[in-house]
Amino acid sequence: MPYKSSKQDSSDVLTLEWVLQVKNYKLTLDKHRCMGCQICCLACPKEAVTVERQLKIGEKTLKPKVDINLDKCNFCGICDVTCPFGAIQVTLNGVHNLALIATKSYPKLERTITLDPKECPKTCSNCETACPFQLIKVSKTGFDGKPVEDIHELSLTEKRRIKVSVDIKKEYCPTCKICEINCPPKTLRVTKIFEGKIAIDSSKCSLNCHACVDVCPIPNVLTVDTDGKVVVNEVCCIYCGACKNVCPVEVDALLVKRIKVAHERVHSGAWNKALEKLTSKRDGVKALKAVASIKKRDIVIKRLQDE
Amino acid sequence: MTTINSSQDVEELRIGVFVCHCGLNIAGTVNVSDVAKYAKTLKDVVYVKENRYTCADPGQEEIRKAIKQNNLNRIVIAACSPRMHEPTFRRTVAEAGLNSFLYEMANIREFSSWCHQNNPVEATERAKDAVNMAVAKVRLMQPLQTLEVPVTDSALIIGGGIAGITAALDLAEQGFKVYLLENSQSIGGHMAALDKTFPTLDCSICIEGPKMVDCARHPNITIFAYSDLVKVDGYVGNFKVKIRKNPKYVIDEKCTGCGECKDVCPIEYPNEWDMNLGTRKAISVPFDQAVPLVYAINRDYCIECYKCTEKCGERQAIDFDQKPLEVEIDVGAIIVSTGYDIYEPYDLPLLGYGKYPNVITSMEFERLILAAGPTGGKVIRQSDGQKPCRIAFLLCIGSRDKNKHSYCSNYCCMYTLKHVVQLKEKYREVIEVYVFYMDIRSPSKGYEEFYDRARERGVIFIRGRVSRIDEDISTHNLTVHSEDTLLGSPISVEVDMAVLATASIAKKDSDDMARILNISRGQDGFFMEAHPKLKPLDAPTDGIFFAGACTSLKDIPYSVSQGSGAASRVAAVISKPKWKIEPIISIVDTNKCTSCGICVNACPYGAIKHEKSQPANIIAASCHGCGTCVAECPSHAITQMHFTDAQIMAQIHAALQNNPEEKILAFLCNWCSYAGADLAGISRYDYPASVRVIRVMCSGRVSKEFILEALRLGAGTVLIGACHLPYDCHYINGNHKMKTRTDTLKNMLTKMGLSPERFRIEYVSAAEGIRYAEIIKEIDKQRKTIGTKQIKEENEKLRPLLERLLKTKDKNFKP
Repeated sequence: MPYKSSKQDSSDVLTLEWVLQVKNYKLTLDKHRCMGCQICCLACPKEAVTVERQLKIGEKTLKPKVDINLDKCNFCGICDVTCPFGAIQVTLNGVHNLALIATKSYPKLERTITLDPKECPKTCSNCETACPFQLIKVSKTGFDGKPVEDIHELSLTEKRRIKVSVDIKKEYCPTCKICEINCPPKTLRVTKIFEGKIAIDSSKCSLNCHACVDVCPIPNVLTVDTDGKVVVNEVCCIYCGACKNVCPVEVDALLVKRIKVAHERVHSGAWNKALEKLTSKRDGVKALKAVASIKKRDIVIKRLQDE
Repeated sequence: MTTINSSQDVEELRIGVFVCHCGLNIAGTVNVSDVAKYAKTLKDVVYVKENRYTCADPGQEEIRKAIKQNNLNRIVIAACSPRMHEPTFRRTVAEAGLNSFLYEMANIREFSSWCHQNNPVEATERAKDAVNMAVAKVRLMQPLQTLEVPVTDSALIIGGGIAGITAALDLAEQGFKVYLLENSQSIGGHMAALDKTFPTLDCSICIEGPKMVDCARHPNITIFAYSDLVKVDGYVGNFKVKIRKNPKYVIDEKCTGCGECKDVCPIEYPNEWDMNLGTRKAISVPFDQAVPLVYAINRDYCIECYKCTEKCGERQAIDFDQKPLEVEIDVGAIIVSTGYDIYEPYDLPLLGYGKYPNVITSMEFERLILAAGPTGGKVIRQSDGQKPCRIAFLLCIGSRDKNKHSYCSNYCCMYTLKHVVQLKEKYREVIEVYVFYMDIRSPSKGYEEFYDRARERGVIFIRGRVSRIDEDISTHNLTVHSEDTLLGSPISVEVDMAVLATASIAKKDSDDMARILNISRGQDGFFMEAHPKLKPLDAPTDGIFFAGACTSLKDIPYSVSQGSGAASRVAAVISKPKWKIEPIISIVDTNKCTSCGICVNACPYGAIKHEKSQPANIIAASCHGCGTCVAECPSHAITQMHFTDAQIMAQIHAALQNNPEEKILAFLCNWCSYAGADLAGISRYDYPASVRVIRVMCSGRVSKEFILEALRLGAGTVLIGACHLPYDCHYINGNHKMKTRTDTLKNMLTKMGLSPERFRIEYVSAAEGIRYAEIIKEIDKQRKTIGTKQIKEENEKLRPLLERLLKTKDKNFKP
């Protein structure tokens, strides 16, 4: 059988494949996880990813549709690594082990989520209920090691001896901080992947379409106030740009800007290019300079230590 | 009849006519003595002689003797096609002390005896007319001196397969500079991708590899790999070649071939060298033994992480800013050894290639069984990765097939035998092998013995063409349906894997190559040699030669011998300090030239230079002698030597001397239509004898006046035969020039009352003998339908117009 490349598009997943005699490259895009944001489209070095605005059906605007061009895609996995929602996966022979990461040709995004479960109140599972993506599972085990079924039936001592563990599926987490806000003892700490800025110029936004509100993946980041204007709550915004994708106003009614990306330290041209596209030329250079100065500092420290 | 003014010297013309029997080839149909008798009656003919074989030594001796004894100063030889023996008799005439351009051939074999075998009377008439036309032309001929041009002593070889490599090494060893151009990353061609070679089962790369390395190391060879041919200008001995070196993004001189960059590259893509069965890195060489061993980056897949640059470090061999580089070289001769492509049978749905995972082609099988291949030499099925226990080999997929490629691909039988022997010797009894064949063709040294070896190993040979392959969806096993023609019953065999021995086809880009080099292709897409038997290595264009599978499919030993053969043909050209070129070039009469500049645009070679208010100047060495400028010149200031207006007019008059209404006057270009008409004769296609042929070098030479004069004389039909549009013209675009010129003329004439069927433009290639015969048949039928009476009426009506049009012209055209 000759080499075959194929693309299948269903309502749940988009699958791209290279089938060779001994190798099978596969890219799957989970359409439920995909939020139609800007990130993969900007990061793709081959410009294979396109985002298409969807028609408004009924009251609500649908999230934009991400499409990948099979002829351009080289299965490098940059989209897989960069997707803040973990919606894309590239596998080789069924194994999710990217050469990109192994050779340090591209950095993993850093999702810094710290939590000390010992400090968790025994009765609290707010983060689990708050997470808009259902990524957090709070489980409690009693002194006998068995999972606790109903906490209210336990005695006080038993309650005290409960062990709380919090399981977070980090790879899918866009770091929106909703869990952090809902954590009463503030033990859960989340650092955002992207730092940036979002602003809506209400004078230019006149269409009253509220499409941005419909597609925003994080609840309550964009809300409509009493006189029909869209209001931004920047605390939880992840600067993914899904709103920007659907904004029908040509002039900058809606401004989404990413300034910094949290990532592992690598030395890679591909990342530099992606960074420039994800942020801006100026911010990209700034980030690179920062890296360079850290490096310089490290060199100096090392020299001093040697002496 | 009107006389033609001759502006020539007043020496007394003494013409000798030699009529050849060619054994019974001519004499069997044409009444040769009748032709000889007729020749005696022609003006200025003082000597007529019949020969059994004029081209044989005694025949040539007779010509030499006759010239000396009878003081002959013009010679006509009525024999075969001038494309066959014109050079032979030129030498003969020259040996007798006569200028070799004072002779003309009358083609009475290909154009009479062979194509009118059922009609000896008309064949004889046509032969007489041919002699008459030749005599009329030869009377106006003038002695010409052959030109000499200096020769560059280097050669270009296009295509670095085994044929090209052999040719390069042979030429380099003889001391000539050789440029070896290869469009892929490594030389080696298809042979470098094979596992073993038949019938000896030598490891292919082990025997070719050293030759490839020799090429790279030889001081006389420069390899341009990953490069394309852009343009070829010039002529034999003096080609100017432009080559584009495509960017590898790795600097040739700095790359050490260590491969460290490959190890850090994160990107893989399907390896075309592995028939896309395996992958290669975005920075890589296609295989380990590649020559030159220089890595290249495929920017279609590269993500520019620069890990390779980092790893390469101080060697600094990687340069992402590399641009395509155009190089110009001067060479004396060119060898084309571009090879072939492999047919992919996606359009044979009944065989399921591309649909069933366990149906593969032979070349894919080759990469599977190769130890350095993507599976490490394990023959495994794609569907489950298991070793197949029953394999069917299907021969003649796409070849010997009227619906695909009618030719035999030459080596598929043998490589399939190689595959089955390899399998049987590797896996012994545990594997069942079936071969479905039409005929096993094993004609060379040791091949039949190899076939015996396969049979002794217990391979099951089934004679029959496979009609269909079915697949079991759950197991992906295949059922091969065929007929066993030896038993006369249908047969179905269940197998685990099916291997298709697919046809080899002409290179995908051979169209572009043909256009750049001005060479023609046959119906099957392969390049046409100058003569299939006597000049198998020569292209019709001087100084260009062929080697290997680009003309027709050849196995390795044959390609190697062709490589050596082409090298010696090239050496014959570039070892000389000077090369003689035919003096059939155009010259300008400076008195008549009005400096309009039309000829400058008409010349396809840019050989005409002209400054304002100065007469045009033709550079003799650049002129190819097509004559397009002659036909385009509005003031008749240009003359093409050996094909002057007066000479062609004389031929027209001679051809239409009797019953012009019943004749088809055909102007055929030397390279395509004339050769096609020759082929019709050689293939003995019968067609009506009413056609009279005037040979011109290019259809671009056919002036409007020739057509007007022919019609004025009452010709039944005028036909212009040219090379196929758009790119077949031997002189780049003479056929286009002819078309624009005649389209307007035709429009005008039809408006004035000429039946459009009586003026035809046809495009016939050298390979289309049958087409030529069909065209003549059709034209003759149309002419008969119109009827002599109506033709005469039309001619009468047109005559005043034609005379008026011709009157204004040069004195040569004056009626």
